[in-house]
Amino acid sequence: MALINGENTAIILFFIGVYGIIARRNIIKSIISLGIMEVAIILYFLATATRTGALAPIGETIDLTLVADPLPQALMITNIVIGIGVTAVALTMFIHLYHQFGTSNWIKVKKKRNKNG
Amino acid sequence: MVSLYWFILFPVIVGIAGLLLSDKISNILSLFGQTLIFVYAIMLFFTVHQDGQVFQIIGNWPQSIGIGLKADTTSILFVLLTSFLFLILILFSMNSSYSDKLFNFLFLSVEGLISCVFLANDLFTIFVSLEVSTIIVSILIMYKKDKRSIYDGMMYLLINIFAMSFFLLGLGMLYKQTGFLDIGDITKQITLINNKKDLILPYAFMLTAVSLKSALMPLFSWLPKAHGTPGAPAVVSALLSGLFVKSGIYLFIRLQLMFSAAIDTQLLFLILGFATAIVGIILCLQQTDIKLILAYSTVAQLGLIMIGLNFSSSQAFYGSLYHIINHAIFKVGLFLAAGLIIEEYQTRDINKIKGLLKRMPATGIAIILFSLAISGAPFFNASISKYFIASGAQSDFTKYGLEIINFGTIFIFVQFSRILIGKTEPAVMSKQKPIKFLLLLVLALFCLLGGIWGVDLMNLLWGQNFQITISSYLEKTVYFTISVSLSFLILIFIRPKVQIRSLKKLKSLDVSFNTVCLSVLLYFSSLTAYLYFF
Repeated sequence: MALINGENTAIILFFIGVYGIIARRNIIKSIISLGIMEVAIILYFLATATRTGALAPIGETIDLTLVADPLPQALMITNIVIGIGVTAVALTMFIHLYHQFGTSNWIKVKKKRNKNG
Repeated sequence: MVSLYWFILFPVIVGIAGLLLSDKISNILSLFGQTLIFVYAIMLFFTVHQDGQVFQIIGNWPQSIGIGLKADTTSILFVLLTSFLFLILILFSMNSSYSDKLFNFLFLSVEGLISCVFLANDLFTIFVSLEVSTIIVSILIMYKKDKRSIYDGMMYLLINIFAMSFFLLGLGMLYKQTGFLDIGDITKQITLINNKKDLILPYAFMLTAVSLKSALMPLFSWLPKAHGTPGAPAVVSALLSGLFVKSGIYLFIRLQLMFSAAIDTQLLFLILGFATAIVGIILCLQQTDIKLILAYSTVAQLGLIMIGLNFSSSQAFYGSLYHIINHAIFKVGLFLAAGLIIEEYQTRDINKIKGLLKRMPATGIAIILFSLAISGAPFFNASISKYFIASGAQSDFTKYGLEIINFGTIFIFVQFSRILIGKTEPAVMSKQKPIKFLLLLVLALFCLLGGIWGVDLMNLLWGQNFQITISSYLEKTVYFTISVSLSFLILIFIRPKVQIRSLKKLKSLDVSFNTVCLSVLLYFSSLTAYLYFF
């Protein structure tokens, strides 16, 4: 099995996203890192469900032994929709946060939050 | 024929219908709809008890392809609890300043999603409902757009989404190993897998997310912020602390049962439960904000539930399940009472709230009853569940540990009860509706009834033969009396003199977003390492 395949790439990509969340203090970059993690998960699901030469599960006359597993693909469509929702809500919240605190740095926001209470 | 999917769909439909109408009509509509759901839940509860579990697959697909909904005795009990508490919460929030049609819609949608977590039988559906309910809850947290609530809501959202993506990746790995998403099918497949080490990674990924959802020891720092945020309406805090964390615990139970053939981590989670409870109590004692006190006490109680679930005794396990229900009832009551107090006194500082019994007698009495219930006083519901949890303790170490946790809980609420006495001016804005006080007293009554008929109720629910011997129950009562008097003595004679300086810093224990996420990663790697080497 090749070392560089979909699953390994997905896991590495996932932990790149994790690194971005842990190491970056910019809220926008945190949201982007969440997006990277989500893409990695999608890649993982799709990579596990297919193999070289597999056909797309569309149509009625195709050979069923060659078809890629359609279930992960259906799941990932749902996951993409959720991901869009999460990103949209997070960015909207960030706009409100920025209006209130005037900064996009987690540490500075935290300091300002505690000062007022 | 009962259709389970109505528990998920109906609240959302009612909410959407309310969105099209005016605020006032939407309030009445949601109350009406909620009553229907409650009646339906009671009906289904009796059906399940008479005819056994109900299993349905949406859209008539073959089993293990379609989405399965399953109502067994435990899950239907949780659905019944959810609909009952939502009925109370909706009645409580009627005619409040914040309860407009959008609020009703969001609130009812959360109900549908929580029921979905309890009923769904495949992991992806559970993931979806948890993810969506996280989004809605974070909007509810920042509903008043208060400066601090926006930060708390944002932290809550991003931390939980971060953890849930661990869950989804773990689910992907599990699907690769077993080829199923249905919990029942996966349970069968796991027994067939020869190399158990293959399951370690999916298990670690999924349990990391579930531990965060159920606020275990290193991962609970989001909980007090989200549950005790100043801007959130009282009903939202009550919903979060009473019901919503229970979905994490429920998922924990399901996953542990699912993996039980391959992976055994009872000892690890037992230790983590103890650590959670003790850290929760220590942090709780440092707080002066009334909402934060209740939020940290939730952390401590979740630790206790975790301990009970991981004793290898079925009595302790069912005692823990019963404690989940009890905790939901009195914690909802406590948060609602706290909301009324904050409204009346216009402060959250426990040192500034005095003479509650004189100023708001009904709320004061309710607070006394709930405090007795949560600290496990005899004849209250938690005394039964704590009795059974304690019956699972085999070694001396766990026995003393449980005693310390019980004493800590009692001490917290003895300290909390000082708001009841003292001088105060008469009530200024006693224009609050009497129905709110009535609801609190109804909840308190349930705490009392759950204590008096606790054993019979547990026998009825789970069909096990639970028994309490009078002598050991009396022993517990003596312990309780000693603990209460000891707490009063400490509070009167020692506490004012010795201000615990070194722990003062803990009061403002505030970790940044990056640190929380780092702790999630560390938790995940230590869990993986533990599983590989033990």
